[in-house]
Amino acid sequence: MSTGIKNLVQTLDSVDFLKMDRRTFMKAVGFLGASTFLSSFQTEIVNALEFAETKIVWLHGSECTGCSESLLNAANPDILQALTKLNVNLAYHETLLAQQGIWVDNKLANTSELNSEILLDDLIKEGNYILVVEGAIPNGPNGSGRYLVLGNKPFKDIVGEAAKNANAILAVGACACWGGITSAKSAVVQETDYRGTAFLKTDASKGILSELNIDKPVINIAGCPPHPDWILLTLGAVILGKIRIPDDLPDILDQYHRPKVFYPPDHVVHDNCPRRGYYDQGLFEDQAGGPYCLWKLGCKAPYAHGDCAIRKWNNSLSVCTQAGPCSACVEPGWPDSSRPLYVESEGKGVLLGENVGTIAKVAVGAAAVAAGVHAVRRMKGE
Amino acid sequence: MKANGNPTIVERYSLLDRVVHIVHAAAMLALIITGLKMYFGWNFMSFHTARALHMFAVPFLLVVNWFLIPVSIVLATGGGIKEKFLHFLDHYVFGPRDASRMAGIIGNFFGKGKYPAFTIYDEASGHYKTKLHPLMKILIVLEGLAIVIIAITGIVLYSLNWSLFGLPIASWILSAGGLIAPSFGMSSLAFLRTLHLLMTYWFVFELVVHVGILELDPNVWKYYKAIFWSGKEDLKDTHYVKIVKTPSNLADKGRRNH
Repeated sequence: MSTGIKNLVQTLDSVDFLKMDRRTFMKAVGFLGASTFLSSFQTEIVNALEFAETKIVWLHGSECTGCSESLLNAANPDILQALTKLNVNLAYHETLLAQQGIWVDNKLANTSELNSEILLDDLIKEGNYILVVEGAIPNGPNGSGRYLVLGNKPFKDIVGEAAKNANAILAVGACACWGGITSAKSAVVQETDYRGTAFLKTDASKGILSELNIDKPVINIAGCPPHPDWILLTLGAVILGKIRIPDDLPDILDQYHRPKVFYPPDHVVHDNCPRRGYYDQGLFEDQAGGPYCLWKLGCKAPYAHGDCAIRKWNNSLSVCTQAGPCSACVEPGWPDSSRPLYVESEGKGVLLGENVGTIAKVAVGAAAVAAGVHAVRRMKGE
Repeated sequence: MKANGNPTIVERYSLLDRVVHIVHAAAMLALIITGLKMYFGWNFMSFHTARALHMFAVPFLLVVNWFLIPVSIVLATGGGIKEKFLHFLDHYVFGPRDASRMAGIIGNFFGKGKYPAFTIYDEASGHYKTKLHPLMKILIVLEGLAIVIIAITGIVLYSLNWSLFGLPIASWILSAGGLIAPSFGMSSLAFLRTLHLLMTYWFVFELVVHVGILELDPNVWKYYKAIFWSGKEDLKDTHYVKIVKTPSNLADKGRRNH
């Protein structure tokens, strides 16, 4: 930990974190990061949560599990430390739990100790949990949702049942937020009809909850994957009651339901990119591998609302743009909104497949030719 | 309006017209050059200098277009609101007679017919009935629209949380952009940036048309001197000028029909 952060932590040690108002709390959480937040205020948190275990039901839809991996990559605290400190019972997480679905003669067998599907049913019936959705939810074919089935139940219906009894709902990752890669343009996208939890791309009326006529707020932790801090700190704020649902959500979330503290509406990744100095000098890379600004290689950092370049990834060591162009994975509608990935947005085809630069060249060229002909004719007095 | 001492020399552009045009041209050129420098990374000046010049030129362009030009139009003629509105229609709005002239100009471009006069001076009233090239009347409408678009999109590029009197203007613009951007497969911010660039290219195109097509003609060069310096036109030079003498009782009727 740097000296500056140590001093800050020492200063904040005297602050009663749990008495902070919500706005100050969110600012502080956003600034400090999960590691500093949890390690600095462990005593207060433990005291506050001593008798209040929080259950989390974490569902996996159509996805790569990269979001869970990102969370598992959290280093300080790691996931176990965070769960312990926040007094969280990760009651159901398909890729981490020991149980599995057991069917005998077409019937669920054994108990929730061994059978994950019975466990999930029990948890949903008991209620009083935070629901985390990772991955997109297929609505196809023909609205049946049967492109993803657990046991004999479409995943879409499981999400619906779990959402109804949840105290709070978090969609984690681009797929759960707006469909992500699974809903990108393709030959089968109409058939599979993947949806986000509350959105389809930028459309808030086509999330799977709307499809199921469930009117419950969803917090979107966008990204592919999201930063572990974004997940842990949002969960922490919800668990500690610093985000009251639904009362606080209009102030805390942006129009795409992302926490503004992590996805700042007034900043983009480009503002704090390590390569920013080269942009200011007009030094752009035209091929991969060099040190200069990657904008002309299709870097979408100028359009990406995320605190990546400040918070940094990999235990605060680096950020994507140090390796290659940002794809703005935190933006709604990603990846289609960022495609083609290696072409700058201004270079994207807008008319008959041509970009504004080409259209302008043709128009200005034609005008110049017309001007030349016109001038010659006028000078001849015709 | 006749100049002192010479009955054929009249005022084509007032002092305000000339100042407005010069400031407009300078601001526009500064904005195009510095804007494209920032976009392409040209290395003839630093980013910060380009950005500072860009932001310096913005208020000049906006004040000229959204304040001084309307003032100039209002002051250009006497009378009440109706007279001022009719003057505005005659001088700046592309009407049926402009369409007729435009058809003649296009025909002339392809070798048919004479180049029609587009400046009509009424000797009886001592005022121009109309003076702008018909293509210019189309361009100024499109330019006005382009200035509105580039100013609105420019707000977001300037600051993503720009507000005025506590109103979150930039946020509203981003939200509005979000309604259209998905149609182009873009995020709102990317769409607004692309639109800003497209409008920049529009101004380059307009400059080529304005200077290249309208002005690269020795017989039109008299108007350079008029718009940038003297403001005067000598009606003895009849290129593109037609002098009419409308009886006063017909003048109003003619205006209404224009």
